[in-house]
Amino acid sequence: MSDGGGSLGLLALGPASAVGLYWTLYRYYRNTDKSHAFERETTVEAKPVTGAEHDRKVDEVKGTQQKRIEDDNVADYRDRVERMDGDSS
Amino acid sequence: MSNANTPPPVPSAGPAPTGPGSPRDVPPLPGQLGIDPATLPEPIRDELLAPDPVAIDTAAEELKDGLNRCPKCGATEIRQRPGTDLLICMFCRNEWHGQRVEEEFGLGEGIDQLKGTVIASGARDIEADASVLMTFKCTGCGAEVTVNTENAMTARCHWCRHVFGVNEQVSNGAVPDAVLPFHIRKDDAVARIRQFVDKRRLFALKEFKEQFTPENVVGVYMPYMIVDANASADVAGHGEIKTREYTRGSDENKKTYYDADVYRVQRHVDFTVDDLPLESSTERSDFNTRVNTNNIINTILPFDTKNAVKWNASYLSGYTSEKRDSDVEQMRPRVEDQLLSIARAQVESSVGRYDRGVRWERERLDLHGTRWVAMYLPVWLYSYHQPGGNGGMLHYIAVNGRTGETMGSVPVQQWKLLATAITVGTFLEGIALWILGHTS
Repeated sequence: MSDGGGSLGLLALGPASAVGLYWTLYRYYRNTDKSHAFERETTVEAKPVTGAEHDRKVDEVKGTQQKRIEDDNVADYRDRVERMDGDSS
Repeated sequence: MSNANTPPPVPSAGPAPTGPGSPRDVPPLPGQLGIDPATLPEPIRDELLAPDPVAIDTAAEELKDGLNRCPKCGATEIRQRPGTDLLICMFCRNEWHGQRVEEEFGLGEGIDQLKGTVIASGARDIEADASVLMTFKCTGCGAEVTVNTENAMTARCHWCRHVFGVNEQVSNGAVPDAVLPFHIRKDDAVARIRQFVDKRRLFALKEFKEQFTPENVVGVYMPYMIVDANASADVAGHGEIKTREYTRGSDENKKTYYDADVYRVQRHVDFTVDDLPLESSTERSDFNTRVNTNNIINTILPFDTKNAVKWNASYLSGYTSEKRDSDVEQMRPRVEDQLLSIARAQVESSVGRYDRGVRWERERLDLHGTRWVAMYLPVWLYSYHQPGGNGGMLHYIAVNGRTGETMGSVPVQQWKLLATAITVGTFLEGIALWILGHTS
């Protein structure tokens, strides 16, 4: 193996697997990451989602090495972001 | 400038306020205004005639004296028949079914028409001075019987053996609108807890394993608010669609690059939520996993709350209970947070074309209407106290008293787990070094 990235990756195997194993087992015993999945376990009746017709292209990204958009939170439902004006709460 | 430490002058003890509109006046009968609302302008009339927040009265008039009598023989020795929603009279063996609140109060209907805040009578605000101790005068013998509503809802008169239950919807938050009786029996709960722990023995704390006695599991009725909501949500942010993927560099140093179009994305969704359960005890709704394991009890949600029956303290006979201590307004931020999460889950499928993901930046919730019903839900709870700093940690293993879903926190023997992780890491590192040594 001649490239530096590969050997570094292989050297990190030991510490990475130790940390990974520790956390996996710790969570399996203590279940600190569990909670009620209300997003999918509650009866929700939603009307069709609207707004797709207003999507506009605003920019282009060239030559990025990131696989996903920065701060992608499409699946982090519980990650609260800034509230818009006129919020009822 | 006056000295800030000087107390304000004592107000002169003038005559107490008197006359119409003062606290000294005899209060008018409920519903009486003193003037005919029909003579008032429309906006004022609408406000005056609008229904009070307590729109659903779930109080049981017939049970107010604290005595749950068998409808057939009048005995008070009433229990839940294990594994069913039936009540059984231990004297004449008569069995009857509690009324389901879903049909009786129409709780599953009209959620999309909900406006404002509708609070069932058992979910009303808790009065600060309300006592947790309830005292009844026994109608059988005249003795006084006290029930500590902090952890029980029934008691027996020591003199004449009558069984009392707290049925009146007192203002201390102890009596909910409805109760969901236990279906999972104790033997079953013990077996589930044993099974759960048997799968987690290798790295469990030694003392926990030595003291493990699942027979000590306790049936607890936990206080929840069941919320129906009618809401709309808007979210806005940016999404990216990949237009090109290419690699640069030589064979040994290849790197992948991406080009993408950036879109401004916004979505709107109208939705209703039926029976969202929320812990209505401040202590239980604290999910800081560094100091408690309340998230374990949260995980075994949801319950089949559609089958809840009208409150009758006889269902709690033989079980303990915890008392609600949160009001609707205190819980509103949590409801809004969960509704926003639900909205975000709902819009996810509509942004599938953004294959590089979406970054939501702003969101808004319009809560059109909510309906709040207080409910006791059945949980089998096994607990183990692990000594340590800050009072240690109380580990729970909880079994859903209806569905049997089991979740728990098993304390870990830290040194054993660390040693294992380090051993495995060292072994893999050894292999990695061996490979590196033989390829270079």
